[in-house]
Amino acid sequence: MMEIIQSKHWVEWLITICKFGFAFVPVIFILLLIPLERRGAGFIQDRQGPNRSYFKIPYFGRIRLFGWVQNACDGLKLFFKENYSPSGVNKFIFSIAPAIPFAIVLISPCVIPWFAPMVFTMGDEVIRISGQTVDTEVGILLLFGLSSLSAFGAVLAGWASKSKYSLLGGLRTSAMTISYEVCLGLSIMGILLLVGSFRIDEIIAWQEANVWGIVAQPVAFFCFLIAMIAETGRAPFDVAEGEPELVAGFHTEYGAMQFGLFYMGEYSHIGINSILVACLFLGGYSVPFVTTETIQSNIGISLAVLCGIFVVAILAFLHLLYRYARWYKKSAASNKQVILREYSLYKILGWAAVVVFAVAGVASALFFHPQFTVIDGQPVYGIGVALGTALIHILVLLVKAIFFCWIWIWVRWTLPRFRYDHVMNLGWKVILNIALVNLVLTALIAKLLGGI
Amino acid sequence: MVRQIKQKPMNWIERLYIFEAFRGLWTTLKHALRGLLRYETLPTVPYPEIKPEISRTYRAKHRLMLRPDGTPRCVACGMCATACPAHCIFLEAAPAEDGRIEKRVLRFDIDHLVCVFCGLCVEACPVDALRMDTCDTSYVFRKREDFVTPMYQLMSWDPKDYPQDDLQSQMAPGGTKNKQALDAWGLKVN
Ligand code: SF4
Ligand code: SF4
Repeated sequence: MMEIIQSKHWVEWLITICKFGFAFVPVIFILLLIPLERRGAGFIQDRQGPNRSYFKIPYFGRIRLFGWVQNACDGLKLFFKENYSPSGVNKFIFSIAPAIPFAIVLISPCVIPWFAPMVFTMGDEVIRISGQTVDTEVGILLLFGLSSLSAFGAVLAGWASKSKYSLLGGLRTSAMTISYEVCLGLSIMGILLLVGSFRIDEIIAWQEANVWGIVAQPVAFFCFLIAMIAETGRAPFDVAEGEPELVAGFHTEYGAMQFGLFYMGEYSHIGINSILVACLFLGGYSVPFVTTETIQSNIGISLAVLCGIFVVAILAFLHLLYRYARWYKKSAASNKQVILREYSLYKILGWAAVVVFAVAGVASALFFHPQFTVIDGQPVYGIGVALGTALIHILVLLVKAIFFCWIWIWVRWTLPRFRYDHVMNLGWKVILNIALVNLVLTALIAKLLGGI
Repeated sequence: MVRQIKQKPMNWIERLYIFEAFRGLWTTLKHALRGLLRYETLPTVPYPEIKPEISRTYRAKHRLMLRPDGTPRCVACGMCATACPAHCIFLEAAPAEDGRIEKRVLRFDIDHLVCVFCGLCVEACPVDALRMDTCDTSYVFRKREDFVTPMYQLMSWDPKDYPQDDLQSQMAPGGTKNKQALDAWGLKVN
């Protein structure tokens, strides 16, 4: 035991343990996705979306956080509702089923590389910490295996509920998961062929060295995206819970937080899937047009640019806020004082953040050129650079993932639900064949051009 | 006449679905960006704080028109109560003090919980004493009795809230045409 602990320096241990925190990234995505979905749906339908709930703080009054509080309230409501199950259900399976999709989501981020491997020299030994929590050869296969496991939640829920609607919903989920898993696996075969590895970090390194996967394999990208959307079971592929036919599908009999778990499982599944798409086809953590070496040799400037981007984003946000506040002041609303008071808080916070980021950016451009850091009396070369690069990489990956999350929501609120047989036709007769043809063509071209 | 609507058959690009799906996505993207970047131009309004604009021709809460001296113009003929399909107008008549008028109205209640806002009472009134152009659509009370709107409430409207070219409203006390109307109406006959 002591040998294992002493085999690594405590700095290395600290970073390694911190990486476990990434397991919660998809869960944190829920907090982002639910408001994004509800307000986004509102905007798409020319509504305002939920924006009413508030909590009160002194002086600034009612704080609504742009509708975010509403989601917290809904979550709270689900949390305090009574757990209810129909009579005659298999209690154990009935209550374990909602936990499955959610538990899977906590495990699956382990193979996602969040940053390029950190390399630094400590004393005279070189330490390399890889970006994923579990450094494994199978990589993406493990992820696929885990994410298809989450269908068990739906199937077991459908079976345990003792309801025809639930059972049909569960059946449809299992059928759809099976058909689209095939497309999912086959559509990325092309890129795996080009890279020659199952490891996601090698796929990203390949994309960084050559081109992004979306350029190299555009057809595969579309097949993969469609199969992914189908696999998460969201519109237009949500036949498993199609409310005109099946009430709510597999979670018909669920209420309260058991339903909430399904809901959260679905959203975090979207989160993990968008991270995966970003990794496979959008270069993962790699910054567009800039190599990791450039970032690392100019780490101060890079962090400054990052701060600059933050400043610009916050200024744009403040601009929107000011414009809306000006309009509200002129409108005939009866609650102008309340709203403007609330906005003054956001304005103060926004300007404070602008100042902080501006100062931090300038400071890092001027002063952040770490040659070495002294830890425990011995100089450590490059740990500052490694940590800074890791920060940039994580943020870049998250931005790409959030973009894909938006695609999920966007597609859901645009396209009508397919009929069940259409879904199956699309899966087996169209996407599967396109993916196969794409695979063969990729193999041919790779053989002819690259001689791989 | 039977109108036949010819549906254009889809061409093959449309039948492929994927391109049409992209067109749909583009449309929704425009709407989403409008909501995000031009939030104030959304056609929906935050309702109780900002009231929607309601046209004068909308059948809203009733009001009783006034003579230049401020008495209700109603002559208590009971036509509105007769016409009302919901039987929600309750009126009592009394002999008028003004010799030119036969009857005056003592009590005039409209139960707005029962009213179906059909506007037949307005149509029925022979002297244009009843109108539904207050644009008042949201009145909320805690008790059922409060929804029975009595006469003094129906009469308590302000000519300033009504357009200038609404001469009938401007003749009421406080209106711009009140003085001329009083002259034409003549002094009160006791
Ligand atoms: S609007 Fe129709 S229902 Fe209402 S009081 Fe007039 S006649 Fe009766
Ligand atoms: S119809 Fe007109 S005048 Fe007759 S009672 Fe009704 S409001 Fe009065």
